Amino acid sequence: MRKFIALTKIQVKDFFSKYTQHANVKNKWLGMLTLAIPALLILPAFQLVNRIYDTFFLIGFPELTMTYMYLGTVMMMFFACIPFIISIFFYSRDLKFFATLPVKVDVIIFSKLASVYIYLFVIGCFFFGTSIVVYSTTDGLTVYRLIAGLIALLMAPLLPMILATLIIIPFMSVIGKGNKRNLMVIVGNVLLLVLIMSIQILMARVEMDPESLNRILLQEDGLLRLLGRNFPPSIWLTKMIQGSIIDGGLFILLNAVFLYILKLVSQLLYSKGLLAFNQEGGGMTGKGKIYYKTRSKGLQMMKRHIGIIFSNPIFLLNTVLVMFLPIILFIIMSFTGELSPEVFQSPAIAPYMLYIYAGVITAPAIVGNLSATAITREGKTFWETKVLPITTGENIRYRIYATLMISFTASILLAIAGGMYLPVTFDIIIRAAIFCIAATLFLSTIDIVINIERPTLNWTSPTAAVKNNLNVILSLLIRVALGGIVYFSYRLMPDFAANTMVAIYSIALLLLYGISNYIVFGIYKRKFDQINL
Amino acid sequence: MLVLKNVSKTYDKTKKAVDDISLEVKKGEIIGFIGPNGAGKTTTIKMITGIIAPTEGVIEINGVDISKAPVDAKKNFAYVPDHPTIFDAIKGIDYLNFMADMYDVSIEDRKERVEKFTKAFQIYHALSQTINSYSHGMRQKLLISGALLSNPKLFILDEPMVGLDPHSARVLKDLMREHCEKGGTVFFSSHGLEVVENLCDRVAMIHKGKLIACDVVENIKQSNDKTLEEVFLEMTKDA
Repeated sequence: MRKFIALTKIQVKDFFSKYTQHANVKNKWLGMLTLAIPALLILPAFQLVNRIYDTFFLIGFPELTMTYMYLGTVMMMFFACIPFIISIFFYSRDLKFFATLPVKVDVIIFSKLASVYIYLFVIGCFFFGTSIVVYSTTDGLTVYRLIAGLIALLMAPLLPMILATLIIIPFMSVIGKGNKRNLMVIVGNVLLLVLIMSIQILMARVEMDPESLNRILLQEDGLLRLLGRNFPPSIWLTKMIQGSIIDGGLFILLNAVFLYILKLVSQLLYSKGLLAFNQEGGGMTGKGKIYYKTRSKGLQMMKRHIGIIFSNPIFLLNTVLVMFLPIILFIIMSFTGELSPEVFQSPAIAPYMLYIYAGVITAPAIVGNLSATAITREGKTFWETKVLPITTGENIRYRIYATLMISFTASILLAIAGGMYLPVTFDIIIRAAIFCIAATLFLSTIDIVINIERPTLNWTSPTAAVKNNLNVILSLLIRVALGGIVYFSYRLMPDFAANTMVAIYSIALLLLYGISNYIVFGIYKRKFDQINL
Repeated sequence: MLVLKNVSKTYDKTKKAVDDISLEVKKGEIIGFIGPNGAGKTTTIKMITGIIAPTEGVIEINGVDISKAPVDAKKNFAYVPDHPTIFDAIKGIDYLNFMADMYDVSIEDRKERVEKFTKAFQIYHALSQTINSYSHGMRQKLLISGALLSNPKLFILDEPMVGLDPHSARVLKDLMREHCEKGGTVFFSSHGLEVVENLCDRVAMIHKGKLIACDVVENIKQSNDKTLEEVFLEMTKDA
């Protein structure tokens, strides 16, 4: 146990120090405050939960808020932890070191999962935790509810995390073979996610026969059973918080069983999965042609920055999932019939089509935030560009250009897909494209400021570079603030047509782009030069 | 070729890693930079190459102040770090083409030099493989080849012999000597005192951030019966 605690402690410390690194906060309390920055995201989560609570309260079942939020959170946790698990088990630099330590393999596996647990626990606090708080405070807070709620919250990450581990480790050892294993890892994992999402959506759509449906609904807790029929732990959890000791026992027992299963198979996962994967050669040793070709410095630099993303499966998986998630969801929902073209043909939707289309094609820049980790992704190879005979401005600019290239590629693909599916006119396409260009230019430029402030070049796992990173949170906060401004300006000018509003937003974003250019190339150039390796 | 005037580097306003170093390296010279672990060798080299900025002082490369005209200064040198940590998902030849483009090396020159250096280091056959399949020594040799491609006026190397097999170490020493004979300058740090003693025109010794000696080997050795190792141990012994 001592070894487990020591191993866990070192990894958790690494997790947090990477998160707060280079925040330039020497004060202990300021450091704590930095950790609390993501807590700002709890505000929209509270608003969401409150709305759901009001809906369930109206039909007399406020406790379903927890069931609903738990189900959603479990799904979110499951998807969020897949790239994280791949990163810490297969691309982490410390696994080779841990392999030499005199500790049991289950200790290595459990200690490595500790950082995943913390990450998922934070997600759980935002969405599921707020539902427990809202339900308990509105419906009456007791000591029992407080304890039961805390147990539920602490246990919420276990099932998705263990399930994902049990699927991913064997899956990776199967697909991660041969010369093109990085490509296989990307394609394999995207397909796996698509498969899981499709199954989930299809299961949700399976029609029950009327007799069974009636039988369920006639029970006292019929609605709860209907909502949680595909995932019974959600029923047990809700009842546990409501006061049922038996359901609480079932929920805790299920989590304990899953933990025990993971412990039982850990030896197998380690030898057949992790060691097997790490023994495979990563390099390409095939014969090829030695060529001599000149390219411009700019092209070489952009090639390098894009290459860094494409060569690391975690970076690429993260980029692909974040940028193409709208496409993936769109395809699945169309495939399963969840989304039909008729919905968008409705005259009620027509005035909002420009907003919808502009939002869809701008999604890669909004959720992508690639510039916020453009320096961090380079890690210890950052010195290479520092000694090259290029100006600091060029060094920064080509990183932004690389982000723009990826973002615009994703936007063009989304524009084509959206154009084929949505009833958009040429006028809408042009207006939305201008908005998308303005937003992408601004966001890609301003994000690099965050990365210059917090370069974080020393990371052990690639997830720390692109996910467990305060930079990403900060860039999201910029977007939340921007979204808030857009929303309030829309409310202030309700009589303006979509064309006018989008034109105003586009001009404002272009102005912001000009300002961000001045900030980056006027002020932050010096800071970039001062980045210490 | 390389001038350091009262250069200091202080971390976190209190830790002085390099303390008021002044040094001049002349054209055509090979100078060895020695010192115990943590003496400030790598920090000094990082300041010379522009990776980090000095807290005080001026660094000039071929008469160009690196803090005032970094691009012009950087055109004059090539650098090989102490750890061959490079972007390794590309092929060896991709890396060499990248370096050649960065230093504007013509197709003819790059072809001739790539073949010359990589064949000498016995990595020519591996150029079409990705760098992540290379051993530590092979990466080091690729880095050295890439640095030499531009035929730099000043060649800066940090612990270049680490990880090299005896054959490659010999090749590197010959290349360094040849580079100087052709008018180039070499500045390198090393823990291999024998290499420094045999190869260098002058030796600069750093201890606790201060330059404690900079002279020809014979003068540093003080008397003929002492080796450079003995003198080094004496001079860097803590009181």
